[in-house]
Amino acid sequence: MIRIPIERYRLDNGMEIVLSREDAAPVVALNIWYGVGSRNERAGRTGFAHLFEHMMFQGSKHVPEMGHFALIEKAGGSLNGSTWLDRTNYFETLPANYLELGLWLESDRLGWLLPAMTQEKLDNQRDVVKNERRWRVDNQPYGDWDERIQALMYPPDHPYHHSVIGSMEDLDAASLEDVEQFFRTYYAPNNAVLTLCGDFDPTQARELIAQYFGQLPRGPDIPPIPGRTRLEPVMGGEVRELVHQDVSLPRVYVTYRIPPFGGAEYYTALVTSYILGYGKAALLYRSLVREQQVAQDVVAYAFPIVVGASMLVTWATARPGRSAADVERAFTEQIERLRDVDDADVQRAVNLLATERLNELQRLDERADQLSMYTQLFDEPERINTEVDRIRAVTPQHVRDFAARYLGTDNRAVLTYVPREVGA
Amino acid sequence: MNDTWREQAPEPGPPRTFEFPDVRSATLRNGMRVVHARHGRMPVVSAHVVIDAGAAGEPADRGGLAQLAASALHAGTTQRDGSRLAWDLERLGVQLNTDVTWDAIEASITPPAAQLADALVVLADVVRNAAFPAGEVERLREEQLAEILQRMKEPRALANDVVGRCFYAPGVPYARALIGSTASVTAITAEDLRAFHRERFTPASCTLVLVGDIDMETATTLAERCFGDWSGAPAPTPEFDVAPLNDGPSVHIVDRIGAVQSELRIGHIGVRRSHPDYFPLIVMNTIFGGAFTSRLNMNLRETNGFTYGVRSAYTFRRGPGPFLVSTAVGTDVTVRAVEEVLKESDRLRTAGVTDEELANARDYLVGILPLQMQTTEQLAGALADLVTYGLSLDYYDHYRERIAAVTADDVRRVARAHLRPDEFAIIVVGDAASVRDGIQELQHGALHDVKPNGEAA
Repeated sequence: MIRIPIERYRLDNGMEIVLSREDAAPVVALNIWYGVGSRNERAGRTGFAHLFEHMMFQGSKHVPEMGHFALIEKAGGSLNGSTWLDRTNYFETLPANYLELGLWLESDRLGWLLPAMTQEKLDNQRDVVKNERRWRVDNQPYGDWDERIQALMYPPDHPYHHSVIGSMEDLDAASLEDVEQFFRTYYAPNNAVLTLCGDFDPTQARELIAQYFGQLPRGPDIPPIPGRTRLEPVMGGEVRELVHQDVSLPRVYVTYRIPPFGGAEYYTALVTSYILGYGKAALLYRSLVREQQVAQDVVAYAFPIVVGASMLVTWATARPGRSAADVERAFTEQIERLRDVDDADVQRAVNLLATERLNELQRLDERADQLSMYTQLFDEPERINTEVDRIRAVTPQHVRDFAARYLGTDNRAVLTYVPREVGA
Repeated sequence: MNDTWREQAPEPGPPRTFEFPDVRSATLRNGMRVVHARHGRMPVVSAHVVIDAGAAGEPADRGGLAQLAASALHAGTTQRDGSRLAWDLERLGVQLNTDVTWDAIEASITPPAAQLADALVVLADVVRNAAFPAGEVERLREEQLAEILQRMKEPRALANDVVGRCFYAPGVPYARALIGSTASVTAITAEDLRAFHRERFTPASCTLVLVGDIDMETATTLAERCFGDWSGAPAPTPEFDVAPLNDGPSVHIVDRIGAVQSELRIGHIGVRRSHPDYFPLIVMNTIFGGAFTSRLNMNLRETNGFTYGVRSAYTFRRGPGPFLVSTAVGTDVTVRAVEEVLKESDRLRTAGVTDEELANARDYLVGILPLQMQTTEQLAGALADLVTYGLSLDYYDHYRERIAAVTADDVRRVARAHLRPDEFAIIVVGDAASVRDGIQELQHGALHDVKPNGEAA
């Protein structure tokens, strides 16, 4: 098996560092995970973690406005950031000789973001993010599904109840004071993991990291995640929502509460999602699409999230002439078949997952992101090498037990979209 | 704390040159080519069969046939029905991908190296013996028709699907949507697909690209074993003329009542992949709208906040594909966004680019190359494109010097030749009632109301 090399240490200010060297090409990937996401947002400020991520690209004390993008593109690199429920990440992939540029840029905005903030920049990025919301959610068929599913699956006082993109109203309410407070609370070395992957000299990399990040002061302890973070293992009922929208075909989303990312049962959920929905020999494709021809497409996946409970998400779009009820009935029948799933179906899913991991880890940026993730969430970067063992450990009996325990109608949300009648 | 040393961006270290992998090829006795490159980061191999069977060669009244042919490669062969086909690959942990463009169909897999020999047997069966059974073709045709319906409600897809009709004269293949229309897809039969397969899927029209943890000798041995006893005559390359729908400026509106954003597609017919201005054009486009820090994105996103992002691109095909500026903007700023695109186009034509912009764009294009070749899949895809466009296999060995040779005069010359705002077709997919008057005030030619792809005109 492949072994991705890992060196790991911690700076005095609490920042976690992971180094993974590989010199197949003169390229280096930098990745930082901050332990803050939409789960940390307070009431009335949904969407703020993501809006804040945009502000991190607006320059800092020593980096001019747009300098981050301009300098990295000029170097022939790529960069971005993303915000999710549990974290915010920032990353750049660079020609290897530009490593120091990446460290300079990342350290400057962690150390000196606030001197560069202005109302004008905030107002501009607020407009950009509102257009992002329109683009992803409001102007897109089924575009609000995840927002609705999160609201159905998590109680109002749980931090996953609201979506990452947030509401227009809350985006409008965000102020420069919010930017300052959020930065001082969450953007600290002791809430960050920095990973380097690729072609670098480890001794020189350690020196540069000490130079650029070592002098930044440790921040205050990170406040606990707000709201109720513990949940019962199963929901104890079914919640349903019916949405009339301007779509061509009905679509049914069925999501189940499952154990959080990281534990053995989560990997059973992951394998189960592949049994159900990944590939053209998957159970749902085989039955709903190929044989019964009730659905146009099927999707199933597990969310790698960690607070209280995660979700197994599935959806299927009805073929023209078939109803949402037809789809849901056929879907539920197949879910029940999991209780005596064939060994071969489990092996197929495990093999597909193992191949997929080999493929995705070809990318240095993907390796760096996973190393940051395993360190931030589990304090265990070595998981990048042992993840496949967790997947291979899933047996048919695990899947059968998992299905019996978690995939019942007492533990799910059903969100149904149907075409809106013209003129209604 | 003294942090004056932070005030300047650090200088880069000495560069270590990216060596593009050696690419080698061989031709089997039946005329099929094998292209190989070693790429050893992980024990996997990407195998792409590139078939000279793009949508440009489908019968004119069967728009969408090439796409249906590509998806129906999953429907089974003379040796395996569709379920068995999927099972035989997926039990090995391998997925079959099929893809179609105007110029080629590709069927590809990326198995672990240890499974390559077994998986390649199945891939060869798919390419050689696709059976297009009537029942499965019927199902997949219905799915394609349903997808056309779905794309009518999805603003990005809707905008992309009407570009061809707004740019090209009727009868030009590129005037169609790749997915076809309701009428043209309804007309496709299983026999149409079998005829297309017989004519276009032949050894001399196919190239097997193998990239990854494999040597050239093994690659050719495997290719010979899986494809060597296949016979057939080469297929002719489709020939067609390209003419624009309108010579001058025009506006096209697809109405989505109440839409909160307008999807904009602005441009005209571009140039073919083999055009001698290819390198100056990609440098020019990088500055104009091809990078995050491009002029268009800085203007529309960072200065004005009209959009989440905007890009421009020349779509290079064997024939002249479209040049397009693509973005989604708030409904209330639609007209202002269009004006800025026109303004930036004029500015590039008249004032050209600065030396700094030129240097940045060249450095970006050269530097980004190794990042885009990290996986066997990426590299195999790049080599497949060299095959489709008849480019030499050492193309990437000379890529850097060709980019470096582009001058500011070249950029200005190609902007004047290939960026012509007075010929732009402006396509707006949005709330017509909100944008119509403002767009008309721009006096950018006649305004046309356009129906979505799936609807009768």
